[in-house]
Formats: sequence, C-alpha cells, structure tokens
Amino acid sequence: MRTRNLLVLVLVGAMLALSACGGGGSKTLKVAILAPLSGNVATFGQSTRDGATLAIEEWNAKGGVLGKQIQPVVEDSQCNAEAAVSAANKVIDQDGVKFIIGEVCSSASIPISEVAMAKGVLQISPTSTNPSVTVGEDGKTKSLIFRACFIDPFQGQVAAKFALEDLKAKTAAVLLDQGNDYVRGLAEFFRDSFEAGGGKVVVWETYTGEDNDFSAILSKVKDANPDILYVPDYYSKVNLIAAQAREKGITATMMGGDGWDSEDLDRTVTDGAYFTNHYSGDDPRPIVQDWIKKYKDKYGSEPDALATLAYDAANILFTAMEKAGTDDPAKVAAAMEGMEFDVVSGHITYDSKHNPVKPAVILQIKDGEIHFVKTIAP
Amino acid sequence: MVATQTHKEQIREAPIQRRDGMILNQLSQGLFALFGLIVVYILGRALFENPGLFMQQVLNGLELGFIYALIALGYTMIYGIVKLINFAHGDVFMVGSFASFYAISILDLHRWPAWIWPGMSSTLVMIIGTITIILISMFVSGLLAVVMERFAYRPLRNKPRIAALITAIGVSFFLEYFGALPFVFTNNYITYDRPFDVTVYSAGEISPVVIGVMWGLLVISLVAYFMLRTQAKSGDMKAQAWLRHPLLQFGWLFGGFFAFVLTLAGIHLESGGKVWDLSVSNVTLVIMGASILLQVLLQFVVTQTQLGKAMRAAAYDKDAARLMGINVDLVIASTFALGGGLAGAAGVLYATAFKQVYYLMGIIPGLKAFVAAVIGGIGSIPGAFLGALIMGQTEVLSAGFISTPMRDAISFSLLIIVLLVWPQGIFGEPPGEKV
Amino acid sequence: MALLEVKDLVVSYGAIRALHGISFYVDQGEIVTLIGANGAGKSTTLRTISALQRADSGQITYDGKDITRASASAIVHQGLIQVPEGRRIFAPLTVRENLEMGAYSRKDKEEVAASMEYVFQLFPRLKERLEQAGGTLSGGEQQMLAVARALMAKPRLLLMDEPSMGLAPILVEEIFDIIQEINAQGVTILLVEQNAHMALSIANRGYVLETGTIQLEGPAKELAANPQVQEAYLGGG
Repeated sequence: MRTRNLLVLVLVGAMLALSACGGGGSKTLKVAILAPLSGNVATFGQSTRDGATLAIEEWNAKGGVLGKQIQPVVEDSQCNAEAAVSAANKVIDQDGVKFIIGEVCSSASIPISEVAMAKGVLQISPTSTNPSVTVGEDGKTKSLIFRACFIDPFQGQVAAKFALEDLKAKTAAVLLDQGNDYVRGLAEFFRDSFEAGGGKVVVWETYTGEDNDFSAILSKVKDANPDILYVPDYYSKVNLIAAQAREKGITATMMGGDGWDSEDLDRTVTDGAYFTNHYSGDDPRPIVQDWIKKYKDKYGSEPDALATLAYDAANILFTAMEKAGTDDPAKVAAAMEGMEFDVVSGHITYDSKHNPVKPAVILQIKDGEIHFVKTIAP
Repeated sequence: MVATQTHKEQIREAPIQRRDGMILNQLSQGLFALFGLIVVYILGRALFENPGLFMQQVLNGLELGFIYALIALGYTMIYGIVKLINFAHGDVFMVGSFASFYAISILDLHRWPAWIWPGMSSTLVMIIGTITIILISMFVSGLLAVVMERFAYRPLRNKPRIAALITAIGVSFFLEYFGALPFVFTNNYITYDRPFDVTVYSAGEISPVVIGVMWGLLVISLVAYFMLRTQAKSGDMKAQAWLRHPLLQFGWLFGGFFAFVLTLAGIHLESGGKVWDLSVSNVTLVIMGASILLQVLLQFVVTQTQLGKAMRAAAYDKDAARLMGINVDLVIASTFALGGGLAGAAGVLYATAFKQVYYLMGIIPGLKAFVAAVIGGIGSIPGAFLGALIMGQTEVLSAGFISTPMRDAISFSLLIIVLLVWPQGIFGEPPGEKV
Repeated sequence: MALLEVKDLVVSYGAIRALHGISFYVDQGEIVTLIGANGAGKSTTLRTISALQRADSGQITYDGKDITRASASAIVHQGLIQVPEGRRIFAPLTVRENLEMGAYSRKDKEEVAASMEYVFQLFPRLKERLEQAGGTLSGGEQQMLAVARALMAKPRLLLMDEPSMGLAPILVEEIFDIIQEINAQGVTILLVEQNAHMALSIANRGYVLETGTIQLEGPAKELAANPQVQEAYLGGG
C-alpha cells in the first residue's frame, strides 16, 4: 500500500514537472498544423505537414521566433468539417495554441475559421481556395483568417483564359462534384470566364463524391466531342475519370486545377493534360531552387504545391510575428495586412479580403513528367 | 422478404387502421407508377433523339450489370442456404480487389508465365496472367468468406435470425476499418494497375468473323433449345435433362450478349448529321465474358455436381439433408466459399474497370448488388443475374438521361416498384410452399 | 446382440422434457413398431437416434458401437437410415436428384446404379417421373420417393416415421406391403406409427409410448390383443 502511494506521488510529480517544461510558455511557442493525413486526399495532408515542418525547423535553427523555439502540434483533420472542428478545439483548448496552419480543404478550413474567430486564434490556410474561408456570410473579412494561395475565381479564370487563348478551344465539357465547394467554385468560374470569352460549354454534368462509374456522363462527352474536358476535382477522382475517358475514346484535352497536384495522380491516363497550380519546380528563381533542394535532401522527393504553400504559409506567419514583435494574434494579423512577402510561390501582398495577390502557373503532364508551360499574372 | 413481413403485420392489425393504410398504399403506388411512366417517357425520348448515344449507354450499363451480377450471386446463394443477408459480402468483394492489387503491384504475378517461359507471346502472358489474378482473388475471398462463416455466423446459426444479421453488419464494419489501418490496406485511394492493357474497339476494328461466330453460337443454342423443348414435351427424359444443362445456357448467354455488343459497336452509320459510332473496350468484353462464364460454371456446380445438389437440398430442408448423410456444415461453408469466390472475381473486374481501390469501395456496389438480388428474387440464381443487369441499366440510363445525382434514388425506387408488382422479386418463390 | 439398443434415453426441448428415460431394442431382421398418440415422443425418439436432436442422457448403441454422440452423417454412413415424418422430399430437386441425394453417402457408382434399378422395380412410377421436380408429385408418389430415397442409401436399419400419414387407404396398404418386402430383403425396420392396427399387423414386436415413457411392450400379436391397447389405439379397428 505504501509503495503504491509513493508511486502515485512520484508519477504526479513527474507529470507536473513535464507540464511545466512543455506548457510553461516561456521557452516555446506552439503552432498547430491541421491537415488531412488520411483519406482520399491523404497526400495533400502529408505534403502540408512536411512543408510546414521544414519551415519550423529552419526558423528553430535560426533561433526561433521572438526568441522562442517553435513546437508544432500536428492533428489529422481529415478534410471534413466534423473532424476539423474537433481537431481545432483540441489544439486550442488542450494545447493552448494561438496560431493554426491549415486546413487543406476549404470544406474543413471554413468551419475551423469559425472556431478560430470565436476563440481569438489566427489561422492561415496554405491551400484552401474557396472565397468563404476568409470572408464571412455577412461579406466582412474575418480579421484573423488568412491564406497563402490564390482563390477559386482566379484559378477558374486562368484556366479559361489559357484554354481560349493558348489552346484555341471553342467548346468545353465540365464535370463536377456538386457536393464539393472547391470543385463547384472552380467549375462555375471556369464556365463564366470561358463563355464570357466567346467559348461554349457544351456539357455540364454533375456527379457525387461516392460515384465510381462515370461511363454514362463520359458517353455524353464523347457524343458532344468538345475541345476541352475540364475536371477540377482532386486527383483520386481525376484518376478514375481520366482512365474511363481514355476507354471511351475521348480525345478532348483534359484540364484541371491544383487538386491534381499529387504524387498519386495517374500520369499515364492524364498524359497531355494541363492544370493550373501555385508554383512550378522549373521556375529558375533562387528561392525556388533552394527550396526544392532542401526539401529533396530531407524527404527524398520533389515538393508539390501543397508542401510549397505550407512552407510559404509558415514563413508568412513567422515573418509577420517577428515584425509585430508579439504573439498576440490580433496584432500579428494587423501587421500581416500591410506587409509584402517574397516566398517560394511568388511575390505576395494581401488584398482587403486577406487573399494573396500573386500569379498562377500552367503545368502540363507529358510522358510521366510535369512540365512548366507559362505563368499567368492576375 | 421485408415486404412480406410488413404485409403480414398489416393483416394482423385492426381493420380500421388497415383501411387507412390502404388509401396511403394506393396513393404511393400511384405515385410510383407515375414516376415510372415519366422515367420511361424521358428514356424513350432520348432513344428517339439520339439512338447512338442511347445504345452506347446500354453498353456502359452492361459492364456495371455484369459486375453486380457476380456479387449478387453470392448474396442470393448465401441467403438461399442460411437465410442470412450477408452484409459483409461487399467487403469480401473489397478484399478481393485488394488481393489482386497486391498480386499485381507487389508480386507482379500477372506476368508469371513470362518468368518461366521468357519467349512467350505477350498476349498469351496477358491472358494466363489475368486468369491467374482472378483465381488468386477468388481463392482469397472464398477463404475469407469461409472464415467469416465459421467464426461469426456458425455459432449463431440456431439463434434468432436478427442476431446473425446484426453480426453481419458488425463483420462488415470490422473488415472496412481493419482494412483502413495503416499497415493493412490504408485508408487511401490507391491507383490500381490493370493486369492487361486497355484497347478500345469501334467500327472496322472488330472482325466480322467474330461477330458471325457469336451470332452462330446464339442461333445454334436457340435451335437446340427449341428442339429439346419439343422432345421434352413429348416425354423424352434425356431431352428434359439436357434442357436444364448449363452448356445450353452458356451458348445463348455468351453468344447472345457478345453478338449484341459486337454488332452494335461494329457498325458505322451516318445519316442526316447523326452518327452511329459506338465503341466497346476490352475491359467491358472481359467483364462480360468472365461474368457469364462464372455464372454458367456456378449453374454447372449447382445442377450437375453432388456438392451443388447437396447445396440445393440443404437450402430446402436442412434436417432432411442431414438424414441423407449430407454434412450440412460443410455444404454451408462451401456455399460461402463459392459466393465469396465470385465476389473476389467481381473485385478484380471492378478494380480493372475503374482503376482504383480503397477500403470503403465495397459498400455501394454491395448494396446495389443486394438490391439486384432482391429485385430478381433473393434465393434465385437466374434472378440475381437478371436483377443485376436491370440494375446496371437503370443506373447508367438515369445517369445519362435524367441526372447523375438522382441515379441512386431512381435505382432504389426501382426496387420499390418491382416489389409492388412481384413482392417476392421477379424469380422469387412464393412463401409457404415449403412443408 | 441387438442391432439397435436404446438405454434410458432422456431428451428435452429447452425446458420441456420430451422423453423420460426410455429403453428398447431392435434385433437384426425384425420389424419393430413404436406406437403411441400424437406428442408421445415417437418422432423425438427417431430424431435422437439419427442425431438431429441431442440426448440429455442415456445411450444409443448400433451394431455394437455407441452412436449417442456421433454426427448425423456418420450414422448414415453406417447404414442407419431414416424416412422422416411428412416425407420431407426435396421439392425443387428432380426425382433423380432426390434419389442421388439418398445415395450421397455412397461412393461406389456401379452399386448405386444397381440400387436405382432395384428402387425402380419397387416403384415403377418413379422411373416415369425421373426428370420431374419432386414437388410436382402426388402425395402417394412423394411417400414412395421418400422411401425409395432412403433405400438408395443401402440401409441395414430403416427408421420409418409415420409412412401412412395423409395417404388414401389403398396407398397405405401398398406402403405396408412394400415395408414387408424391404424387410424380406434383410433390412431391419423400426416403424413409428399412429395407425397402430396396420403397424402391429406387420411387426414382430411393439412398444407403446405415452408422454415420453414406454408403457407396454411385447410381441405384436400380444399387444394387438391387449385390451388397454385396443381401447386406446385400435378403437376404430
């Protein structure tokens, strides 16, 4: 009995000591990374985590931010609203973080932004492109929410512009998952710009996230024989659709958005297709080449846009904190609004809606490689 | 099954309540009939406006239907013998897909003949390799189904049926989320390498000789069928036995479907701006061929072998089967093995068609195949086959001409409409026939 | 030594006890009948011998071996065959398939073919219906099929549960003639019947079962003459 009491005492003491070291707050600064580490966009989450972690390690090597070492708190927020909200609550309430990098998916970032605003936490999403992430339903900008990527309307416009001007396309077919805000956003902005520029959308077909068989709508695409097949979904769906489109003998040029940017994109069935993205590894700027080298050394592969944007988001956040000279989220946000950043994905300033103003790139998949085609400025 | 039970309950209720229910029933029947008519009208118009596109959709539906057929056969066989709706069957299908994924991507087994005989022609390697992959998946899935039966269902065999049903749901979740573990299948969407390369055939690329042979096969088996039927009617017992033989079935199913598909894809027409130029991929043809072949093989096992006859005997009356010295436990396990094997084959075909595998992939096809089995009359093998083909057509035609997001609503409404007309399904046997 | 010996057999369905420790025996070559009213436990006795029902206690010995815990199929393999109550033929299977199921435990194809010929001699009508589904046969034909199916297993001891049930009187006569003929071929028979009159007329010995216990036993002629039996089971005569 006595030994057990002693044991309990020792354990409690040890825990107190540990928590004093970990959560004491004076030496370290906790930053949460919320990303989908499993599920249908798992590679996005893993890249995001790796990119942000690399930035944190670099800052720590230089002596940290505001003189404190940064400690990352990583949670799997699974690209869905429920998991994202519980992850956000956990890192804020339990770990006491004041800064969140994440999420990847707009459908998860939007609910996180509600939690963050309510609890006074600053959130910077590396890759959520839906306008509602930073702008509330009342049309007002959410004061603590930022992003590191351009938004859906811009990406849709760029794709339409490229299709019309460079590919000389007249007709397009658009396939979209109507339940996914990101996909619908890109599809609608593409359609609007494409038709405004004189093109014609001849097939507009929706499907659901559970669908695996696209033979019916692809047969309609085949029948309409468009110049462009625009599929702005994530890579896992694109793999399915592209494979089936090939079997149907569809020859239209496929196009998509940054959701295609994954190691797991099936490059044989998407051969010849174009997609819009945030950055290209072929960009000769030193900051880009330096980043690719560092990433390759650590993880053994080329960074994708997700990793790059997560790296940028972390750098933007830490630079703004240094400038503000405090870890008060409201003051850091105020500093961020007026700053200019030179990061891997380009020269960034923030507009009044907390969206970065920066260019997009067009990439093409050819013979198993991804090639840089051109940059399109806003 | 469900429909009959509610019907019985209604009869037991008080007459006044029952009359109220009748009005609502008629109302809903009317609504469904109206709904059905609208669908038929839309499809009819689509056929008239662009017959080429319509028939292309029919071909697309066949691919899906033939895959569902293989899964539905398992549901129906297992229901037939143990009266259990094996909700984990869709997950057996999923495991079959993964088994073939590992066999292809990790072990490279689809090219094994080339290791042993390096000079072999690549077509032959592909054919033998594909068959090997299908057999491996069938074996793994069959084994899984047997293990499942032994450890999850057999201990509950003499307990109330609901216990086994709930267990089936539990087994289903177990397989899915066990599969989701990072060291099992992971919860990622994985790109599947096909065991063979895709080729698309359209007019001019299909040899007329092949089309002719298929028509020949169909005509021969139909002629044989009618000749045998006349002889059987006059009391020839040999003819009666031959009439049921699966070989005849194979002739008209294989010949019929291939003649239909290849003819549609093999002709090229152009008139008044409308083009008839359909295509069919070798994936569809492999799926059709494999599905018909396996279905006929199953019929062969069930009608011509001792084991198959024992299965039918045990499905009808287990105690009487025991009195014949039939080891009913073994027969039930064999039924699970066969059903699981077919699901495994379906898994390979499905993954080949859609080029992706993931741990929840069994849920929707499993559910659809279950509906197909119910539409055809659960417990009936030809019923499952027919139900699955109907299901495939409904899905693709509603996705093609009505609305993709509506297609599941329409497919499941079909279930309700069919059950209103045939409460036991199309080929189902009326209840209470058993002594 | 008896071919079949049942000792102190106790059987229950859940909490309800169906047999309270019955004992009887059947000698090689005999026809023994078990008579009694509905619910006396006759079918339970046969089901327990064939291992469709587990015994709580007691012992069943067949051909010198204890088969109390043997599996149903092991028992069939030793030639102990039952024709169950209500015929229980496989309705969706053809007559031929039903007969093949009867021979399920036998592997020797030639001998099975010989048995089939023998069965056709006994029941020529089955040969005409060979490719017909069992369920399409008339009641009498179904009973014949049930007996024929049991004979396909080449029985040494045949347990027959109510073979006359639901048959027209003329068919009952025919069935009992056939039972005697089978017995004459050397097959021992344990016959369970409600039609005590007919059963006792062809049996060597008989047992009277009442609510799970054996009330009377003895040579069939003596039982038929017993006033108690006459009153209870032979009333109509």
